Amino acid sequence: MGAAADITIDTARAAEGRPLLALEGVSKRFGKLQALSEISLDFKAGEVHCLLGENGAGKSTLCNLIFGSHAPDTGLMRFQGREWSPSGPAEALQSGIAMVHQHFSVVPRMSVVENLMLGQARGRLRHREQAALIRAMTAKFGLDVNPDAIVGELSVGERQRVEIVKCLMREPRLLVLDEPTAVLPPEEIGALLDIVRRVADDGRAVILVTHKLAEIAKVADRVSVLRGGKLVTSLPMQGTQMGDLVRAMVGREVTSLESALASSLAGIARAEKQGDGPHKYALVCDGITVRDAGGAVRLDNFTLEIAPGEVVGLAGVEGNGQTELGRVLAGLSPPTSGRFFIGEAEMTHASAAQITAQGAGIVPEDRHAVACVTGMSLAENIFLNKLGQFTRFGLLNRTALTEAAKGLMQDYDVRAAGPEIAFGSLSGGNQQKAVLGRELTLDPLVFLLAAQPTRGLDIGAVEAVYRQIRLAASRGVGVLLISSELDELIAASDRILVLYRGKVVGEKPARPDQREAIGALMSGHA
Amino acid sequence: MSTLALPAGLDRNALLKRLLQLAVPLGATAAALVIGLLLIAISGRSVADAIEAFMDGAFGSAFAIGASINRAVALALVGLGFILAFRANLTNVGGEGQIAMGGIAATAMALHGGVASLPLGPAVLLPMLAGCVAGAAWGGAAGYLKVRFGTNEVISTLLLGFIALLLVYWSVQSENLLRQPRTSSSTLPESLPIPEAAQLPALTPFDESPLHIGLAICVVAAIFTAILLSRSTYGLKLRAVGLNELAARRAGMPCNLLLISALAMAGAFGGLAGAIMIQGEQYYLKAGFSSGYGFDGLVVGLLSRGSAIGVLAGALFFGFLRSGGISMEIMAQVPAALTLVIQGLIVIAVAGSVILLEKLETR
Repeated sequence: MGAAADITIDTARAAEGRPLLALEGVSKRFGKLQALSEISLDFKAGEVHCLLGENGAGKSTLCNLIFGSHAPDTGLMRFQGREWSPSGPAEALQSGIAMVHQHFSVVPRMSVVENLMLGQARGRLRHREQAALIRAMTAKFGLDVNPDAIVGELSVGERQRVEIVKCLMREPRLLVLDEPTAVLPPEEIGALLDIVRRVADDGRAVILVTHKLAEIAKVADRVSVLRGGKLVTSLPMQGTQMGDLVRAMVGREVTSLESALASSLAGIARAEKQGDGPHKYALVCDGITVRDAGGAVRLDNFTLEIAPGEVVGLAGVEGNGQTELGRVLAGLSPPTSGRFFIGEAEMTHASAAQITAQGAGIVPEDRHAVACVTGMSLAENIFLNKLGQFTRFGLLNRTALTEAAKGLMQDYDVRAAGPEIAFGSLSGGNQQKAVLGRELTLDPLVFLLAAQPTRGLDIGAVEAVYRQIRLAASRGVGVLLISSELDELIAASDRILVLYRGKVVGEKPARPDQREAIGALMSGHA
Repeated sequence: MSTLALPAGLDRNALLKRLLQLAVPLGATAAALVIGLLLIAISGRSVADAIEAFMDGAFGSAFAIGASINRAVALALVGLGFILAFRANLTNVGGEGQIAMGGIAATAMALHGGVASLPLGPAVLLPMLAGCVAGAAWGGAAGYLKVRFGTNEVISTLLLGFIALLLVYWSVQSENLLRQPRTSSSTLPESLPIPEAAQLPALTPFDESPLHIGLAICVVAAIFTAILLSRSTYGLKLRAVGLNELAARRAGMPCNLLLISALAMAGAFGGLAGAIMIQGEQYYLKAGFSSGYGFDGLVVGLLSRGSAIGVLAGALFFGFLRSGGISMEIMAQVPAALTLVIQGLIVIAVAGSVILLEKLETR
């Protein structure tokens, strides 16, 4: 690969330069949590510096300190040789530090152009010139963004591309990317990493936060590993072994994700397909078609049958109809046409409550918007759809609720200080395990929809999530697994359908040797 | 020794925190009062007279105290309704109109519902119930507009309130509605007095104080609200809908029903306040009888931070403030506008200290 060749050339040059940004003994504490302790690091111009670590290791906190969202408690930062203590992100942006956040800061009702003009335009708005500029920039970097699209109608992946363009347009000296690839499909990850490389070669510094090792191998000049708020190691990428990095990150020896996942899941018995359960099918979709408000077809004649105990993977780049399908199956918006059945009962126009009662567990792709109420407690969220079980004469039995929540926390390995803690304070992995536990303990449970269930989760949580999904399948639950992580889909599914521009463009068995064929289908090369 | 020292230290910290929580709002209120007195002095009235008139009107006699508590009852009911709807993240600013609707319905029921001949219980309860239903309809209408058309409840409750105030005006102007028969050219545009059977029983002999059983009803309503919000599943569902409607819907909650019912309940409390105002003290309906209780009750609800006890405390405070203010106006000729300014200063002081304490806590 061309990108890989560039890296080695640049590494040497970059290593000589003075640091653009230097951290000296920086610490940060949030309440009881020591988020960062005594971090000393140099970031050089022309260098792609990867920050590696599991969830909660302090990567995001470090970025937020650099970007001025938080101030360090102790320690010193130097930017371009001068002491760096930004009053806030505005100062960081002015001084040449731009950041792509995990959570987007775009205005959904505005178009892409309007979003990009926010905070930059002075006086008269030059719509057309700005749109042309964006087109030029997106073409240059291969970021597929339509300047006139309304941001709220874009998929999560597309929205993130808008964020990236927004940052690049400021021509920053230092570009910070906080897990930018978490929502991108494989071929776009490659394109993004190419951009990252180009930005660095242009004499800028790039900080790339990630927990995907493959990306690091492709693009990093230097890798720093954080664990529990401490800097474990910081090495030049050249000559570094992947295994060493993994060990540094998790503090123990693990095999690669795929093989770990595959061997972990292999131990779980596959269900008898012709089982004598009450249902012939867990889910039947018959020609589901969804048009958006503008009349454009977002999901086209989606037809699928899932047998009890079967795990069907739905691969595809985000924004190709998965979101729409998820909303239909969750009972949040009925399809424009077509029908679907859960355990032989038609649910096309049923409410969310009816779909739940019929035995469909739903793990939605947008956890914070659909799956949980972050302002309420963990216990309340775990039983959000089963509060009736704890109600007598209209009153809620909190003692029983708390006890039951403790049981589920144990069964599904939800790690938290206690059931009464605010849901929003949990890590993404523990939130997802709680949501999954809630949906998998529905009674009856016939079908499970898991949409992007591992987004933003660290390796340990990813494994736990798929383990639970496979266990459910072995009990005879039919599963539809929607993901843009192809490796995970291959490891966890029985067969894989590929969605491209709202259409199913192919079906393949879930085998590693099919990876390239599926990848080609995902990107539209049939 | 050292094992004992730690808990003792913790206690002292907790005590200091408690003291601070009390001292800050009290200090702020005192400061607001001092500024108010300064304003009175600037306006050329005697500060001593004003203070005396205020104390007389608020706490000066058993009668004054009873009147103040009766005012507090109306404020508390509106405030309780406010925190109920606010739990679902709905801001009910239509208390004034809900009082008005409750007053109309209670008067109509008392005059034309044949309650005069009923035994004491139903004769009192039926008009109150009518008041609740009318208020609930007014609040629920705003809820329906919200779930059906997405109309912001702040707008709809406020505008429905104006309609209700004008309905009061209409119903006491037209003899076909509630206006008393015209016997001379000086017959006022008011309803007939409601029959004695429909009037709320007094808690003390009336010549000593006007205190009536509205107080007991209000305490029951406060307990009901507290239980509903903190112990019931319904209260938790209101919270879920208020925090994240989509997640609540996905979890199978009947969101539309929850939203409508929350506003309907808020309205019912407002209507009850209106009925109690008519049946407890005023005895006949006249234009503008609600005289701002709905808006003061809204403030009480806002300042209570969602707690029923907070509503009761705030309502008492405002009840006494209102009585004292009226007395200042009459006895010490302090302009009515100035008493409103002083009330506003106190609201700012209390609300400001709440925000200050929250900031201190998070730091």
